[in-house]
Amino acid sequence: MTSKIINMAEKIRDAEDRMLESLFASEPIADDGFSQRVVGRIRRRIWVRRLALPVAMVIGGAIAIKPASQLVVAASKLLTVVPEEVVVTPAEWLPQVQGIAISGSFLQTAIYGAVLLGVGLLGARMLTE
Amino acid sequence: MEVHGADAIAQPATARDDQYLVARAVASQDTAAFGELIRRHQSQVRNFLRKLAADPVEADDLSQEAFLHAWDKLQTYSGRGSFIGWLLKVAYTTFLQSKRKSKRYAEVLNEAGHVADMESRSYTEDSEEVSDLEKLLAVLNEDERAIMVMSYACGLSHREIGDATGLPVGTIKSIIFRGKEKIRTSFDIKDHQHG
Repeated sequence: MTSKIINMAEKIRDAEDRMLESLFASEPIADDGFSQRVVGRIRRRIWVRRLALPVAMVIGGAIAIKPASQLVVAASKLLTVVPEEVVVTPAEWLPQVQGIAISGSFLQTAIYGAVLLGVGLLGARMLTE
Repeated sequence: MEVHGADAIAQPATARDDQYLVARAVASQDTAAFGELIRRHQSQVRNFLRKLAADPVEADDLSQEAFLHAWDKLQTYSGRGSFIGWLLKVAYTTFLQSKRKSKRYAEVLNEAGHVADMESRSYTEDSEEVSDLEKLLAVLNEDERAIMVMSYACGLSHREIGDATGLPVGTIKSIIFRGKEKIRTSFDIKDHQHG
């Protein structure tokens, strides 16, 4: 009810308001291809956004391929330096966590993963140095 | 690219309201539906920005930017209030952002020892051909100008202007009152009114 009264009060415009309206009034502007230009820009942006990730991946891959191959070579060299008994670590060498309700093989895989990650990081560091 | 085709929006004319077109544009990234929305409202948005920016070319560039921003933010339109009110809010924000950028640019030029030629774009009474409206707008500050244009040129209600500017309705009313007062004192409206 209150909002209706406010709307009615807004609609009651005096001569001054009507004069201002006539002063502010302007001819409608013809579209003349404006909307097509905007829609064209939007479509181009959609395509650019769609292509951005694959293109970035290709460029990133192209940039990373050389250091990645160097990393693989360095890792293989590192494996020749490290004694064989360290590389082929017996499962009993790994710390065994008792009382954890995770299967033993999962835990071993996680520890192997961590060791490999450490070796990889070490190799990467050697490579950068 | 053609969005004028009769089958571009395959819906009866009665169903082609703004809300429907917005929903369609948001749901399926339908640029044809958004193109229809642009065609419906471009005149009001461009007129609004022409009154604020003074230079029609700059205003049209800003209008394009405003519609691009509107496309990006379309999912934020809740459907509460008119779509043109929401569009004018986006257009006004775009205008203010551009104004801030050009102000910073002018400051950089001034610091570098150049005289920025920004004044020629502002509303001045000594330019070659100044319309009554331009004279009238020149006495208003930026906020008053935007709100008066929204009210008297675009026909938005005070609530819609409040939504567009983020100001309370009471503030909108007092800004309009102050704007009218300025116009009245600057142009002797009563004489004009009575002939």
